[in-house]
Amino acid sequence: MSELNMVKTKKKHKTIRLIKSWLRTFNGGLSLFCLIILFCIPLLTQSLYYLGIFIVAAIFAIFAASWNFLTGFTGQVSFGHAIFLGIGGYATAIFVRFQDWHWAPALLIGGIAALLIAILVGIPSLRIKGPYLALATMALSVFIMQLFINEKLAFILFGEPGIDRVPPISTDPVEKYLVYTIIMVISIIVMTLIGESKVGTIFKSIREDETGAEASGINVTKYKIWAFMISGFFAGIAGGLFAMHFRNTTPMMFQPLYSFYAIIMTAIGGIAIISGSALGAYIFFILEAFLIDLWDPVFIFSIILIIILRFATRGLLRPALERLKESYDFIIGR
Amino acid sequence: MGIILEVKNLTKKFGGLTAVNDFSFEIKRGEFLGLIGPNGAGKTTIFNLISGFEKPSSGSIRFDGVDITGLKPFKIVNLGIARTFQLVRSFKFLSLLDNVSVSCLSARGKAISKKIGTEEYASSILIEVGLVDKATIPPVVLPHGDLRKLQIGKAIGSNPELLLLDEPFSGLSFEEQLGITNLIKRLHEDGVTIFITGHVLRELMTLVPRVIAMHQGKFIADGSPQEVANNKIVLEAYLGRGEGFA
Repeated sequence: MSELNMVKTKKKHKTIRLIKSWLRTFNGGLSLFCLIILFCIPLLTQSLYYLGIFIVAAIFAIFAASWNFLTGFTGQVSFGHAIFLGIGGYATAIFVRFQDWHWAPALLIGGIAALLIAILVGIPSLRIKGPYLALATMALSVFIMQLFINEKLAFILFGEPGIDRVPPISTDPVEKYLVYTIIMVISIIVMTLIGESKVGTIFKSIREDETGAEASGINVTKYKIWAFMISGFFAGIAGGLFAMHFRNTTPMMFQPLYSFYAIIMTAIGGIAIISGSALGAYIFFILEAFLIDLWDPVFIFSIILIIILRFATRGLLRPALERLKESYDFIIGR
Repeated sequence: MGIILEVKNLTKKFGGLTAVNDFSFEIKRGEFLGLIGPNGAGKTTIFNLISGFEKPSSGSIRFDGVDITGLKPFKIVNLGIARTFQLVRSFKFLSLLDNVSVSCLSARGKAISKKIGTEEYASSILIEVGLVDKATIPPVVLPHGDLRKLQIGKAIGSNPELLLLDEPFSGLSFEEQLGITNLIKRLHEDGVTIFITGHVLRELMTLVPRVIAMHQGKFIADGSPQEVANNKIVLEAYLGRGEGFA
């Protein structure tokens, strides 16, 4: 018995050592720095309005990261990702509003519901690729939105008004902020760890050359479905968080604009790097808060997207990190 | 010894075009043989049929006694057949180590990866093919010769018993061809059955003890390189009707 405990403690020490050595690297230190700043925000403001900007950013950070995982990482182009956001939102809302569940299990249900729908969406996508998949997913999201708006189906799908008076996670803005931020951080970490694992290498190989992956003995079908499932799960979590923050779910959760938000935020931050989506989401909503009194944010972001696609196709995160690292190396005299 | 691959009456039609026509042959375990034929003869189609990337219109393929006709490619890889492609493929922006790791993570490759570690296994393959000094570099910046080596490395990650090499010498300089030849010979000595298609006939005919020749989808000859090179039908296929060599 004690031998098993010895092996367990050895593994724990190894993990702790790995984390410590990662923290000493540039990326690790920078991530820790950003985390510290994030958790210090409530010290600067306790207003629901300002914390709300960061809460919405956290929601879309998870959503955009989930999109990045499917499209940027595994190459399955989804232009209707809002499907999973909405399904997660409705599923969570049903359980917290009508079943009086605690928000945590309800969130899990939201994630699982979206995961199941993702499998359904994933199966036909096995045969459709690239721009056709993009169109098909976009069409599907609009179709589902119409389903939920439809009066005749309102008896199960709630119709245009959706579900209202959804209980929030907390009434205290600071507590809410911390819960949302922690869930965001955990989600990003999990998706990043999956991406850096051997399974992640397989996902990337499918993006690069599906036929080559198949010829290397990989069951491409299985891994594509897995990618949809993981992506759908986290998008569903984002949807549940969305529902509990805005206190309602409506068919508008399925709108193409939200799907495009995921794409824009990922493009800003950096495609195929999970934390890039989170960065993009935060930049997006902080910028929006500044711009909202000046111009229409959607107009501004379309311009930003065009500029990014033209001048910074890799997004902002990677080049910024590289420049920062160069300066850091220079300063410490490497 | 035993028969490792048995192809019977294999036919593949693409609409009105019959790419492979009633093709039959056997390969013994541990053999080293070539498949020759002029451009468009159907060599790559034969490889595609054996490796599962095309389904035959009729006929059967048995590997080690198991009927593999029409199975999905990844399943065939995990039974023990690996292949390379005529037009070099790679995971362009992943490192060479990651490129090879993928096949090391196949069901068959995992049997080895689990014992010695995926990175160790992939590195040992890179050493075998002579690319370990470029392990962190992505294929997108590498020369053609290195990509041909990489393809073979990717193929052996799944620990195949039968290796199908589709024109492994094409586009290579003389030295690069020598490197690939030595690599293939080593693999053969390790017990892998090797089936090569070739267009660079001189290199191929001095390498393999047995050659199958095909033309317009049909089998035309099977024997030693000398026998096949002197076969009238083969000569006609390559050189056209006429007096042959004067």
